[in-house]
Amino acid sequence: MKRNIVVLDNGGSTIKAGLVNSDREPRIIPNAVIRSKGDKATYIGHEFALCKDYASLHYRLPIEKGYVVDWDAEKAVWDGIFSDQVLNVDTTESSLLITEPYFNLPNIQDVYDQLIFEEYEYHSYFRCTAASLVPSGTLFSHPGLPPPECVMVVDCGFSFTHVVPIMNGEVIWSAVKRLDVGGKLLTNHLKELVSFRQWNMMDETYIMTHIKESCCFISSDYKQDLEICHANPKHNSIIRQYVLPDLTKSNHGFIRQADSIVKESDQILVMNNESFTVPEVIFRPDDIGIQQAGLAETIAHSISLLPDDLQGMFWSNIGLIGGSTKFPGFRRRLLTELQSLVPMEWDISICEADDPVTEAYKSAYQLASRPDFATRYCVTREEYAESGSSASRRKFRDWSSAESAEKKNPQTKEPLKQKGKLREDDRPPPASSKLSRSRSRAGTASASTRRR
Amino acid sequence: MPPKRREQLARKAAVGSQVLDPEIIAKRTKRHLDELERSNYSEPTTLVSGQDEDDEEGGYSKGRARQTISDKRKVTIPGKSPAARSRKSTMNVRTALLYRKNFAALLDESNIATLPADEPTYLTAGAPPPTYPARLLCTVCGYFGSYKCRRCAMAYCNLNCESVHNETRCERRVL
Repeated sequence: MKRNIVVLDNGGSTIKAGLVNSDREPRIIPNAVIRSKGDKATYIGHEFALCKDYASLHYRLPIEKGYVVDWDAEKAVWDGIFSDQVLNVDTTESSLLITEPYFNLPNIQDVYDQLIFEEYEYHSYFRCTAASLVPSGTLFSHPGLPPPECVMVVDCGFSFTHVVPIMNGEVIWSAVKRLDVGGKLLTNHLKELVSFRQWNMMDETYIMTHIKESCCFISSDYKQDLEICHANPKHNSIIRQYVLPDLTKSNHGFIRQADSIVKESDQILVMNNESFTVPEVIFRPDDIGIQQAGLAETIAHSISLLPDDLQGMFWSNIGLIGGSTKFPGFRRRLLTELQSLVPMEWDISICEADDPVTEAYKSAYQLASRPDFATRYCVTREEYAESGSSASRRKFRDWSSAESAEKKNPQTKEPLKQKGKLREDDRPPPASSKLSRSRSRAGTASASTRRR
Repeated sequence: MPPKRREQLARKAAVGSQVLDPEIIAKRTKRHLDELERSNYSEPTTLVSGQDEDDEEGGYSKGRARQTISDKRKVTIPGKSPAARSRKSTMNVRTALLYRKNFAALLDESNIATLPADEPTYLTAGAPPPTYPARLLCTVCGYFGSYKCRRCAMAYCNLNCESVHNETRCERRVL
């Protein structure tokens, strides 16, 4: 029997999941446990499709700042995805390709291993970052040309933004840079502005996300657009009126057009300069006090850390993935700003995906469809049973292995890692050590709760 | 100058320097940025720093005996894995599910701070600081601000926005 291969792009906002050979397009599932006050119900992951009342939703997100911290919620969402309600896979007979954040912490990575092999008992799995998959996809491909050797992936998602240079399929970790701006921050920023200026929307994350996605754009001339909005705050070419949803009847608001039917009871949210000052933060994080350079400058900085003779190739192969690149005007603005930063002799080219949200999934799908996927990339459950998480540390080439594989031998690295409190071989350790550990944990539990 | 007048001036100067302390402003900015990372809004008064929003469920005090979400939930996963059969999970998995740590704690525990400085990690990967000067934007209306509040150093653009600022933002935001 041929084994199923599950592809899971585990994003901070949504999970893109599917099975190789049956889901060319992923199922998009909220990565959250959402409680609806109106429905008096809690929806876990895919169940959110059943939600009827979108007012004041309470979100419990497994991912904080891009990293999985709440495994209870994460497992609940994954359970739903593997169950007969979504993918219906026997995990013990399947392989898994799952994405993790850039610079994932080693102690978090171990939990991935534990959950996937000890709880779901996958036959084998491969864990990597979203950007490292992109060269397997079609984002950079031009008809008739071989795929470029050097690419720069810009991943602007929900939790943060990364610029990731990749050479011959290998991420160059020393030049990967992170911008602490993502869709979550932008939504919250917009929420705050609107609540201060017009309606109190602080509890309406769901509605504000929809408003952000439908109204916001990236200005190509910030100064001029601000002047337009300032000159006539009531009528100008930028202003939009968003009709807030009447939550007793419909779920979605809409942008008011000339011919829209608007009742007197409808509440209208006016989007004036909010619609471009909010996504502007991607290009000017210092506008809200983040002491980081904007996206364009960060890309230039990352490229400057790369070998001189290859820099031109990176400049001419920049690719955009992630939901926050969907703001209209994103590519144009980035191109303009990069043009003032690029050395004279190089050309810039920016590739856009048809859908930047699912691009990583589609690339992962391509990789997982390769005949050598299981043998070349995956760690099997037997290997894990034998050597625990060090099996995946050896096989998955991430930021820590990139350095250590060349410079240090594995022996010098292990003792350093052993210091981590949670590290534990996955073969049952001597009974005494395990007991004492759990006891000490129970003892400190109250203290740690208080600290939280 | 009469002594009283001098005293007044001194007090005024002290007030000015105390409030415009860049450290306080940096602290305020950081707190604001932390707020922007929250999944749910909670009133500032009930906010304890670093506390997670959704602790009310699951009774944190019961230790290992408390339930995970999956314990009380019925989904059908094919196969014979512990997840599918609701068999007892291994100790590792139980620990991960029951003891949630926030990102700061995990970062602390990961020991990546002890790695050599030339090794790229989460801590070294942040984008560099901007090379251009910050723009002053009105914190009330978003237009270019030309003035700074004397008490809290927030920018505003005209008299109208200044009065809004004084009424609403000024006291609230200052530490």
